Amino acid sequence: MLKFKLYYDKDAEEDWLKKMCLNGWAFKKFFLGFYTFEQCEPGEYNYQIDLLDNWNGYKDDYAAFMEDAGVEVVGQWWRWVYLQKKATDGPFEMYTDVDSKISQYSKIRNFFKVALILEVICFFMELMATVNTGSYIFGIFTVLLAVISLAMLKIIWKCNWKIEQYKHEKET
Amino acid sequence: MIDWRLIDLDNSTPLTEALFYILLAVRTPNHGYGIIQNVSEMTDGRVTLGPGTLYGAINSMLTKGWISLYSEDKESRKKKEYLITNIGKEVFQNEVKRLNELIKNAKKIDD
Repeated sequence: MLKFKLYYDKDAEEDWLKKMCLNGWAFKKFFLGFYTFEQCEPGEYNYQIDLLDNWNGYKDDYAAFMEDAGVEVVGQWWRWVYLQKKATDGPFEMYTDVDSKISQYSKIRNFFKVALILEVICFFMELMATVNTGSYIFGIFTVLLAVISLAMLKIIWKCNWKIEQYKHEKET
Repeated sequence: MIDWRLIDLDNSTPLTEALFYILLAVRTPNHGYGIIQNVSEMTDGRVTLGPGTLYGAINSMLTKGWISLYSEDKESRKKKEYLITNIGKEVFQNEVKRLNELIKNAKKIDD
């Protein structure tokens, strides 16, 4: 089964993959918003999504380490990896203490900060093009880029909020 | 001359619970899954290390030189084993000293 969805919030995406699996569909592949699913026992797997430190090099080391820890890397999209673990092998949470949760959300926040800067630059380029040419095609792209930029701003804000929550938890 | 290593030691305590137990688990050569199980056994299942938490902790301790790569089984499976270093032992002992002081002072509440 193939499904198209656009996620920018990995927590929501994880929840969706878990829900799909509870309905008997196991996630297999991701490409450009297209999710491939195969039939499975309802609730057979649990999912987590992680952000790698860089694009290449240590990816094999990471995958081998996860495999040793009983976790399988099912898919990868740039620096994002999809991990699964059989539900019968116990609970699955990638980050279990406050410090590593803070560092994970900081990493995600920095990723989206860079992406946001790029989107904003593109937005202004499109905006200039729209003003200069008056073409509605550029206009559509301008609006689209504004929407994407706002979505990224939202996720950065959410990461900041989570980091603050965890820091508060640490202090008390 | 400033001894940067000693400064690092000062900043390293208090250890997080994860780091404390990982250091304990690699007092003899141990691999990823072994560390998770070992720590879980030592704490009766109270501390369960997530694979992401463990991966991050191991890499940061390798960089700091607290642990080192002991072996890499290239034939059957790529299973890396880690072992505590002398710096790691020093960091650990420093932490134990701090914890003992806490316990010693905590007992005053019973007096």
